[in-house]
Amino acid sequence: MSDATLTLSPTENVIRPQAAPAQVDGHDPSMLISMRNIWKTYQMGTEKVHALHGVSFDIPRGEYIAIIGPSGSGKSTLMNLIGCLDTPTQGQYWLNGKNVSEMDDDELARIRNQEVGFVFQTFNLLARATALHNVELPLIYGGVSSSQRHDMAKQALKAVDLSERMMHKPNELSGGQRQRVAIARALVNHPSILLADEPTGALDSHTSMEIMDLFERLHSEGNTIIVVTHEHDIAARAHRVISIRDGLIEKDERLR
Amino acid sequence: MERSGEHDVGPQRYTFARAVLPARIKSLPFFRLAAIWEAFRVATGSLRANKLRTALTLMGIVVGVTAVIAVVTIIKGLDQTVAQTFSSQGSTVFTISKNPQIIKSREEFVKFNRRKDVTHEDAEAIERLCSACWRVGIAANAIETVKYQDQKAENVRVRGIEPLTMFDIDGVNIDVGRIWTESEGAAGRDICVIGPDMLKNLFKDAPADRAVGQEIRISGRPYVVLGVLEPLGSIFGFSRDNVVYIPYATYQKAYGARRSLVVFIQVPAAEQLEAAEDQVRTVMRNRRNVAMGEVDDEGFALETQDVFLNLYGAATSNIYIVTIGVAAISLVVGGIVVMNIMLVSVTERTKEIGIRKAIGARRKDILTQFLIEAVVVTALGGALGVGTGFGLAYIISALIGFPLLVSVASAVLGVGVSSIVGIVSGLWPAWRAAKLDPIEALRAE
Repeated sequence: MSDATLTLSPTENVIRPQAAPAQVDGHDPSMLISMRNIWKTYQMGTEKVHALHGVSFDIPRGEYIAIIGPSGSGKSTLMNLIGCLDTPTQGQYWLNGKNVSEMDDDELARIRNQEVGFVFQTFNLLARATALHNVELPLIYGGVSSSQRHDMAKQALKAVDLSERMMHKPNELSGGQRQRVAIARALVNHPSILLADEPTGALDSHTSMEIMDLFERLHSEGNTIIVVTHEHDIAARAHRVISIRDGLIEKDERLR
Repeated sequence: MERSGEHDVGPQRYTFARAVLPARIKSLPFFRLAAIWEAFRVATGSLRANKLRTALTLMGIVVGVTAVIAVVTIIKGLDQTVAQTFSSQGSTVFTISKNPQIIKSREEFVKFNRRKDVTHEDAEAIERLCSACWRVGIAANAIETVKYQDQKAENVRVRGIEPLTMFDIDGVNIDVGRIWTESEGAAGRDICVIGPDMLKNLFKDAPADRAVGQEIRISGRPYVVLGVLEPLGSIFGFSRDNVVYIPYATYQKAYGARRSLVVFIQVPAAEQLEAAEDQVRTVMRNRRNVAMGEVDDEGFALETQDVFLNLYGAATSNIYIVTIGVAAISLVVGGIVVMNIMLVSVTERTKEIGIRKAIGARRKDILTQFLIEAVVVTALGGALGVGTGFGLAYIISALIGFPLLVSVASAVLGVGVSSIVGIVSGLWPAWRAAKLDPIEALRAE
């Protein structure tokens, strides 16, 4: 595919929060996330389906950003790419100065372990493990020594106000508490980004607000937070909203 | 947003953005101890959660290892018994007899029966002409019922011997009382020395000195008990102490002179055995008028205990082969069962694999986790098999009567082999788990 035609894609028209737009082919080293002309193509039988049609954007460190879009918009694909669960078919993705778009499985696993903290809609905690052990898990795969691991996991649980429930298993916790365990797990390895996929999708509205408040607090403490959602009132809590439709960035607006 | 240290976690502000990855991840060892321990924890947890399934999965491995351990232990015990038994005579003794100990066919039986009896004269000739021989003796056996008052012992070996050194050649020692003197023996007096089983069977377990001086009857003929022998124990459940020794002259009077006897020849050390055998063979061929080199029939049997040891060795090696076959089949079947269960386990835990991968587990972490689970199952099966195998061997050894030799090496081998079965059968399921796509795995329910 020719770069010339691609650079004319609608992504060129996005409103960049930064004054000087970086080159489309290069990346801006000051940015935490720098995506350039990202395509994701799936082979469905004989047909090629483009989930993303050349998406480019930057996210600076410390931003609180929402990615919003209806189902089938390519928003989940984008989230998987940001979270390094997948690699783009084409295009470049720099995360914290590293080009992750051409990494192999194990390198991606390492990046996920060190750079990304996932928060899922359905919490995705290990049912048989205690809250503490769930939070320790990323450190286990990160090769952190056991005493240090304990301290770090306890700190993370304390940061989400769950110090009292460390030894409880997920089925002994409420939905909001489970999501807070998941957030502690996401935080524990000091990742570059906290990537939340519909974090309030399985929670009632009151608990949802608690979780969103927690995100706000974490952001105010300097963390970079990316929330992927289809709910506008959740997206409205963010400082910047990227709207995805049909595999393209439809809108990129700064709210505050 | 400055971070002062790698793991400096402020109690209030939980900041975690960082500019540079710490050096530690650049030098990760291939297998991380923490990840292996986690895998072990997960494995035991999942085995505990599915107790029945685990038990059924173990079965094949348990059966295979039990078979091996039981048979190895039993045969080791028998080996020791056999070794002890034959070392009491040692490999310095050989015999000349009319019929060999093992007759392989009817034709042989007919052929051997045409041979001349081995006689007292043969023994004298050997003693006179064989310079390499140390001790020469003769013995003849009869199986009899022995009586004392109203007590009765059946199938007793009545052994007529001459001279007194036959006691030494047989490797028996007097415990209580005395053996007969040479003149008593030569006179053919009705005297005997009894094996310890006689005390039990005839004298109601009375102390040995109570038996000395008593009169027992064999085929209606009275014999005075002069002494009691030390016990030799039993082999394959047959007691070697169920015996009555009488002088050969007495034996001749009771059973006639025309029975064939066995000449026992002992050399001082095993190295002289061959020379002595050659000399004795020459003597006997001369006496039977058999030319050297003629091989159809020498007219006598020259045997060492190797005959019996070879037969025993052949029998046990057959048992080993059959057992290894049984064990191999059950281990293969057990391995297939383990593989099947591991595939089920991987499918059931697809979501969990997705979660682990999302938070940073690499392929080898997942691979290790499921391999360890498979090995824990099979090693547990192996350990149980070792236990039941020793248990079975214990019961059988108690029934037959041989020592139980618990060998650490066979226990290690049992657990080791079953662990290898675990690795082999766990490899494919673990590989399938390891290469699952994290996105699809997370989508699983």
